[in-house]
Amino acid sequence: MSSDNKFKALADFWRTFSKVRMGIAGLVLLGIFVVLGIIGPLLVPFPDALSHWRDINYWQDNPVASPPAWTNWFNPRPGASSQVLTAPKIKQEEYPGDGSLVKVDYTFSYPFSATSGPRDVVFRIAGDGQVPILIDFRRPDGGAIEVYRDQLSLSKSQLFRVSLNYNSQAAAVELVRNENPDAAADLNPATIRPAQILFSDVRKHTVQENVALKGDYTFVVSLLLAKESIRTTEVSVGISGYVSGFMGTDISKRDIFTGVIIGIRWALILGLLTSMLTVLVGVTFAIVAAYVGGAIDWFLNRLYELVYLMPVLPFLIVTSAIFKPSIWTLIIMICLFFWSGVFKPVYSMALQIKQEVFIEASRALGASKARIIFSHIFPILLPYSFASMALSVPAIIVYEASVSLLGLGDATIVTWGQILHDAFVQGAVINNMWWWVVPPGLMIALMGATFAFLGTALDKILHPKLKTR
Amino acid sequence: MYWKFVFKRIIYGILMYSLMVLIYSTLFNAVADKTLRSQIDESVNQEMRFVRTTNGDEFSRIRAQKLAIKTKQYHLDEPLHQRIFWRTVRTLAFDFGNSTIIKSSGGDRQVSAIIMEALPRTIILFSLQVVLAVVLGVIMGLYAARRPNSPFDRFNTMITLVMNGMPVWWLGMIAIMLFAYNIPIFPSGGMHINPAPTGFAGFLDYLWHLALPLITLTFVSMWSIAYLSRNIFLSSLQEDYVMAARARGIPEARVLFGHTLRTSMPVIMTIAVLGLFSSIAGNIIVEGIFNWPGIGNLYFVAVQQSDVPVLMATLAFQTLINMAGFIILDVIYGFLDPRIKVGMRA
Repeated sequence: MSSDNKFKALADFWRTFSKVRMGIAGLVLLGIFVVLGIIGPLLVPFPDALSHWRDINYWQDNPVASPPAWTNWFNPRPGASSQVLTAPKIKQEEYPGDGSLVKVDYTFSYPFSATSGPRDVVFRIAGDGQVPILIDFRRPDGGAIEVYRDQLSLSKSQLFRVSLNYNSQAAAVELVRNENPDAAADLNPATIRPAQILFSDVRKHTVQENVALKGDYTFVVSLLLAKESIRTTEVSVGISGYVSGFMGTDISKRDIFTGVIIGIRWALILGLLTSMLTVLVGVTFAIVAAYVGGAIDWFLNRLYELVYLMPVLPFLIVTSAIFKPSIWTLIIMICLFFWSGVFKPVYSMALQIKQEVFIEASRALGASKARIIFSHIFPILLPYSFASMALSVPAIIVYEASVSLLGLGDATIVTWGQILHDAFVQGAVINNMWWWVVPPGLMIALMGATFAFLGTALDKILHPKLKTR
Repeated sequence: MYWKFVFKRIIYGILMYSLMVLIYSTLFNAVADKTLRSQIDESVNQEMRFVRTTNGDEFSRIRAQKLAIKTKQYHLDEPLHQRIFWRTVRTLAFDFGNSTIIKSSGGDRQVSAIIMEALPRTIILFSLQVVLAVVLGVIMGLYAARRPNSPFDRFNTMITLVMNGMPVWWLGMIAIMLFAYNIPIFPSGGMHINPAPTGFAGFLDYLWHLALPLITLTFVSMWSIAYLSRNIFLSSLQEDYVMAARARGIPEARVLFGHTLRTSMPVIMTIAVLGLFSSIAGNIIVEGIFNWPGIGNLYFVAVQQSDVPVLMATLAFQTLINMAGFIILDVIYGFLDPRIKVGMRA
């Protein structure tokens, strides 16, 4: 076949394919998945998540098990949303002395409108050396409290964190004592939650009721820095709220939206690579068995029966338990089982093609067996192979998810099955944390549907009989 | 002639099954040996407690003797290939031995007793599911096939394709979250409340616990059966005899149920029978999610506890059921369609 002919055949195929709406839908979805699979990890709110998914430190500023931020729209008592305040207003002021020190004020403004204070506010300072620090907390009612004062020893490798809940109990008690002396009497600095108190309307209400004071809060972080280290010092404020992000967080404080997006990559690799290998093996076996015949035919057919009768998931579980769980072992195991799905149909088709005149002619011309198989029979069966490849992807993704759900997945990658495993093991179902369970499962279904659409569309084109009456 | 075919098919099935058990046996042998040796050690230590001797040499001699007897009894002194062979033979003879950790509810450690306890639970849940899914699916398929490309048909196809890639256990998790915690009308799992009620109340309690897994499983599997039977009906609705029947003025309901459904029945029965047989093996994850103590759950517990005898027996059992299903289908087909017997030689 000349390249011109091939191009024409492809154009013909596209003309037929573009008329099947389901196929177009599948193609569009696949395109979106591929794009997200490639650039998705860069777009998510936590860009390093791919390598830090199981790193507790990476996620420590997120709130634990919070629902998505948009649940506030339906909540009569909206909770504070998690966010990170960066880009403060910076004011520099020469410090009296020998002139080598500068007092730098980092001013953050935080408009607050939830019905209860955030879980915690964490001030994060990156820098180097011994730095005196003073944090001022300014409330919308004009009150200002010094919540923290210390001498920090900063190091380059780690962020220094100052948390209201852990470092400002005294300041919270002080605030209540100044504004509402009656309520301060029974406050125990060891048991209070300073973040709640600092954001509450302490004048009108008792502390136990904790009614939040809405308005614009300002945090001023003042550092006494050496001149040369101003540029390398960075301050940000993490607000740990009751709702977080687009899909909430899990019990390990991980952002689920990030997890779901970075899971696309492995689902695609797994689905495409495995189905390709599977179909390649199945089609090759079937053609070889049909064309060569004899002992090889007998052997491959018995092998097919053997594999076909084996219970797949139990076998996968056992092998995953014996070998070290790895995605490549899983891919190989799935290939070992799934090739039987295409074997029989292709085998019967190949038996028919074998009888065609052009095969006989090519044999008469002295073509080798390999040549006949790969350049004459294989191309004819190629369209069918693509259809069955697409149709086998959903099952492969579900199998990976099932193996992962049982805790036998590859711990070095992030897949939807593993997110669901964590959710199930850590009690998401019992605690009604639907935002942890629903998105990964929906993604599995959506990815499966994408390939099912493509496969069914191809099938419709290849077998037009069933289209309509 | 027919009986010869049946006989050959069964013998062939047994050979195939033996081969598969051999494969499992090889796979498990390394793990199995370890558990067996520790079992022997344990039982010898148990026996040694009753040996009254103060002589240290005498004591260790008796112990070594007892160990040697047991080792010989379990073929552990033989080379690897012989051990694999013996494990295969014992499994084929349904001699599964004792479990290492798992016990039946009666405290029995015999693997066959453990399996027999779990089996009925799985059969009830999954065969009910297959029956319900086939009945509902066939009705839906018939309606979809009657008006292809109608909104119902399109909806059906769409749902099938989406359901196709949806893990059943995920829907199970959602169902539990919805109907056991948000709208608490069903229990979240298990087979009965504790303590289990007896008599009619016990039966109602059982049904109540059965409902949620049954509904979930049926809901998932009925769509693909509907889609499949829709395609089958569609092709038989295109046959000439249907057109002829319509031309004769036979009512549409009779054309559908009499002519179409009846001629398509063998294919649908195949789906149903295969579904029934493979369902006996249970579903590891669904049973785990609903905490339904059937075969699948047993298998998973065995994996986690690495209880090799139970693992081996369950896997062999599941394979046997699968195999039996295929043989029965082949035999029925051979009876209905004589051409299939010829295919046997291929």
